[in-house]
Amino acid sequence: MTDVHILGVGMTRFGRHPDSDAADLGAEALLEAVADAGIDARAVEAAYCGHVFQGMVTGQRILAEVGLAGLPLTNVENACSSGATAIREASLAIRAGEHDVVAAIGTEHLTSSFKGALTPDPSDPEAAVGATMPGVYAMRARRYMEEFGMTREQLALIPVKNKANAARNPLAHFKTPITIEDVLESRPIADPLNLHDCSPVTDGAAAVIVMSDRALRKYGGDRAVRLAASALRSGSVDVEPVSMTFEPLTWATAQDAYERAGIGPGDVDLAEVHDCFSIAEVLRVEGLGLFEQGSYPAAVERGEADISGRLPINPSGGLIGKGHPLGGTGVAQVVEVVRQLRGEVGDRQIEGARVGVAHCRGGKAVGIEGAACTVQILVR
Amino acid sequence: MTGAETQTSFRPNELEVCPDGAGHLLGSRCGSCGAHFFPVREACAGCMGRDLETIRFSTTGTLYTFSIVRQSTPEFEVPYALGYVDFSEGVRIMGQITGCDFEDMRIGMSLALSLEPFGEDDEGNPLTGYRFQPCEVEGD
Ligand SMILES: [Zn+2]
Repeated sequence: MTDVHILGVGMTRFGRHPDSDAADLGAEALLEAVADAGIDARAVEAAYCGHVFQGMVTGQRILAEVGLAGLPLTNVENACSSGATAIREASLAIRAGEHDVVAAIGTEHLTSSFKGALTPDPSDPEAAVGATMPGVYAMRARRYMEEFGMTREQLALIPVKNKANAARNPLAHFKTPITIEDVLESRPIADPLNLHDCSPVTDGAAAVIVMSDRALRKYGGDRAVRLAASALRSGSVDVEPVSMTFEPLTWATAQDAYERAGIGPGDVDLAEVHDCFSIAEVLRVEGLGLFEQGSYPAAVERGEADISGRLPINPSGGLIGKGHPLGGTGVAQVVEVVRQLRGEVGDRQIEGARVGVAHCRGGKAVGIEGAACTVQILVR
Repeated sequence: MTGAETQTSFRPNELEVCPDGAGHLLGSRCGSCGAHFFPVREACAGCMGRDLETIRFSTTGTLYTFSIVRQSTPEFEVPYALGYVDFSEGVRIMGQITGCDFEDMRIGMSLALSLEPFGEDDEGNPLTGYRFQPCEVEGD
């Protein structure tokens, strides 16, 4: 079976885009990815497009904008893992031998489709009693504080770190570093989480060009990064209540990915993880086995997760700093990891990075520990 | 209709409202392995058994964790307390918590199911939903 390689990556500026829509943003990202790969756009054989609230045939509108209408195109919805799932589907098409060059796009024009607190689908029993996503993560934060003694100040260090990283990322939504005090004094959203603990409402898109061994030989490319694993799981139904301070779904998906890649958490040089809220970053990196359960807040305090640290987490700024255009998020994480492994990110470069992980998790339904989770491992 | 006002459950599949005003949260019990689920399921996630029976859960539980929600969707007036409550059958159910000052809430407190007005239907008729209220537990 062929390996899967990423040769081209593209990404729009993340932020507010009042004069564009999701298709415009997706088209911009796709054209950049094609140019970055150094291939003729007509070499692309199929495409997958992840988005959540953008309506029917958003992917087809993107292809129409860039002159590629006619390709097999699949729209993918998997909540916040939609874009990452599009990459997985593209990689499966390559591994199956059906295609040699496939585009994966993720896009979202969130400012025009959504305001306030994200909630589970309105039909869900928990949404019906007032569940919000910030509320659910706030409850997990409170429980984590109770069990592991994490302080509110330690939790605040995560947005401080991620917005400092974002300030070094010209494509990020936020450009201004913040302090612990800024986090603690920002507007309360769901106790103990404040506004700075939450990822923003962001417009943006990203795209990657994946290809087979055969296509890579044809198009050349010492800039290629190998997608060593692209794992996907859906959350299981709990047979009895389980801890909300650990993520079996993230853990299981990560085990799938590590096994496929032949790589363990000890080999990882950097990770982009789904920090939709500050507490989420804690749960993700511990679920990925990158830090022991209960240890991450103190590790952040010691600077271990900084760009200059032992294991940098969310060097792009993460969802909190770079922004979180739902469908775009998972693809943008892979764009960041690819650029890090190629050494192309200027003053946020992690020296000598060879192995990177991208983790996404999205959605919530009653009785299910998370809806969709992806873990991708990239190796150069 | 005459006489006593009938109460209508906001979600009859999850909350049973009896004529006497009592109520129960509903779920499934697996006849093969005994696992319980909220809400009602078609098959058991533990053993894949299909002989699930719909049951009424006990009406008191223990607060696993909570938050004070200060930003929500338009149908919910903020702030409100939201919590996960563990029941002895082995299910964890989310609900709002009333009858308690925010600062007095603590993980592990005992809570009882409380049927309360909960919005209205499309024709403007009032609906009955559930929240949880602090309670004393026998033998505590
Ligand atoms: Zn069973």
